[in-house]
Amino acid sequence: MIQAVDTSVEFAGIPLRNPVLTASGTFGYGTEFAPFLDLRRIGGFVGKSLTLEPRFGNPPPRIAETPSGMLNAISIENIGVDAFLNEALPALPDGVVVIASCFGTDPEDYARLAQRLSDSPRVAGVEINASCPHVKSGGIEFGQDPKLLGELVGRVRERVSGPLIVKLSPNVTRIAPMAEACQEAGADGVTLINTIQSMEVDVETRRPVLSNVLGGLSGPAIRPIALRMVWQASRAVDLPICGVGGITSAEDAIKFLLCGATAVQVGTTNYINPMAAGEIADGILQYAERHGVSRVTDLIGALEVNSPSAS
Amino acid sequence: MTESPALNGSPIRTRATVIENRADGGGGFCLTLAVSGWPGALPGQFVMLSAGPRTAVERWDPLLPRPMAIYRGHQPGSAGESTEIQVLYKATGAGTRLLAEALPGQLVRVVGPLGVGFPSPSSGQRVCLVGGGTGTASLYEWAVRCARKQPVSVLLGARRAQELIGLEDFEALDVDLRCATEDGSLGTAGRVTALLEPLLADVKPEEMSLYVCGPTPMMRACSERASRAGIRCIVSLENNMACGFGVCLGCAVPLTEGGFSLVCKAGPIYDAREVDWAGLP
Ligand SMILES: Cc1cc2nc3c(=O)[nH]c(=O)nc-3n(C[C@H](O)[C@H](O)[C@H](O)COP(=O)(O)OP(=O)(O)OC[C@H]3O[C@@H](n4cnc5c(N)ncnc54)[C@H](O)[C@@H]3O)c2cc1C
Ligand SMILES: Cc1cc2nc3c(=O)[nH]c(=O)nc-3n(C[C@H](O)[C@H](O)[C@H](O)COP(=O)(O)O)c2cc1C
Ligand code: FES
Repeated sequence: MIQAVDTSVEFAGIPLRNPVLTASGTFGYGTEFAPFLDLRRIGGFVGKSLTLEPRFGNPPPRIAETPSGMLNAISIENIGVDAFLNEALPALPDGVVVIASCFGTDPEDYARLAQRLSDSPRVAGVEINASCPHVKSGGIEFGQDPKLLGELVGRVRERVSGPLIVKLSPNVTRIAPMAEACQEAGADGVTLINTIQSMEVDVETRRPVLSNVLGGLSGPAIRPIALRMVWQASRAVDLPICGVGGITSAEDAIKFLLCGATAVQVGTTNYINPMAAGEIADGILQYAERHGVSRVTDLIGALEVNSPSAS
Repeated sequence: MTESPALNGSPIRTRATVIENRADGGGGFCLTLAVSGWPGALPGQFVMLSAGPRTAVERWDPLLPRPMAIYRGHQPGSAGESTEIQVLYKATGAGTRLLAEALPGQLVRVVGPLGVGFPSPSSGQRVCLVGGGTGTASLYEWAVRCARKQPVSVLLGARRAQELIGLEDFEALDVDLRCATEDGSLGTAGRVTALLEPLLADVKPEEMSLYVCGPTPMMRACSERASRAGIRCIVSLENNMACGFGVCLGCAVPLTEGGFSLVCKAGPIYDAREVDWAGLP
């Protein structure tokens, strides 16, 4: 008899029924997916990054398609923390694991926001977005300097006792010092990667395609970079890692687990197939059955490398 | 953003089978799909279609699905049976050119119906529909419905006669149909907005509702003209989209009252006065 596969994992102290989460900014506030997907089929979701006050984003065009990817410069348009706590969360069915994402322009903003979110019994954990590549101030400034990042995480840690996750930017020369700074400052986990700073040009009009000129690249085009960074971070820290970037299938997700991720987030693929996260969760189970893996946790960091010094 | 009837049913995500993908000779195509579990749709709603058919190898380039108006197939399917829906499109960029290669029997990914439907005109009003380019496709079912109840004028414009998509279908309706082509190959030579002038000449505001879908400059021009005449003008916007169901925030349109609205969710249909035309690319 085939033994049932245990798909559960624990990420940053949050028990998940399977390692598949969905990425901030690609899953709305969860309810938008109700027609397509039972949210209890996946590990959980990360909501759109929130700010203390509701906020509008950039003028159009905000998005552009690029080879196997897309650019966006939305700029953290969101309903604000009050509407999230009072309206969005209560609209979700019980049993859905919600991770709330916070964005701010200074550490005090982040700390106040993270505390309010973390105090809600419906919020399983808080992810701080220290990596938005196209907001004029905040976000990426913290995400590119390990000292500033450590200070930010330390400030938030003082106010948040529940699971605290830091989302890292790929727009750095070396990812390891950023992950180390989070570990030293007391984070419970890191998520990587956010979008890669990019641009696109329309030669007919000789103008940048995005109103903001610069945007963030996401989608399958960035997957090898995300995988490389997850691998490097997993070798630098003991913190659990959530891998994000271009995941379209269960096989893609498993690559991240093998490179050391405890969980994964599906992002841009949700736009193309709103049922994708559920299909990926099912696919991981099938992979485990096919390979005689009894616990999905056995896949984490199970990459076999001949020359580990390559990292 | 306009007061309009609610969605017939929840949107679905499915793989639809290509029944026919007919070229009209002018760069336009009529794609017929068999969709199972189709919940039906309101005139004005759209679907997101994968950029081209599914082939043996999963393809991620072009990545994003394309929004397309539902041309035919507004009735819900009966349980267990597939429904035929149609879209009219023009092969312009990478996504639509791949779609043009779809063969009968191949699969296309569909998410929909999405967005809101057209708000009704007041009873007794003349309904005037103005379509430019592929925008015509969004208006067809609405023309069918309105023509059952009240007088309808349809003004269609394109660069040349062959590019007037759906023309034969409109000709078969009991409507006052007028066309304009930029090269003068059919109807009045010039832009479709010129056809609007005689209709607006001595009409009182409460006597007409205008519905417009086409390129942004055309919609802006119609909106300005309607506003001068004091006539209600409803537009169906064609912004770029990534998801089509309100999560990427990529389709935002700036509003006159400030802030933005998501075209895929609150739209694509708006009262022209709500739209900050100067802020649109
Ligand atoms: C609600 C809605 C309904 C639509 N209905 C129809 C329809 O029934 N038939 C039809 O042919 N088209 C329709 N469109 C427009 C259609 O979605 C675009 O023309 C299409 O996405 C272009 O894809 P492409 O691969 O050919 O071009 P791309 O290679 O993606 O781009 C070619 C050019 O088209 C522009 N473009 C890309 N996407 C859009 C867009 N969504 N709107 C306007 N310009 C765009 C690009 O900026 C570029 O300049 C609709 C759009 C919306 C939002
Ligand atoms: C349109 C869009 C909006 C996004 N918004 C956010 C956001 O608000 N907060 C955040 O932390 N990441 C945001 N992201 C980044 C994603 O969460 C993810 O890190 C990134 O897209 C890479 O994953 P993917 O390739 O699977 O999409 C956004 C991405 C996209 C495409
Ligand atoms: S297209 Fe994604 S929010 Fe409208």
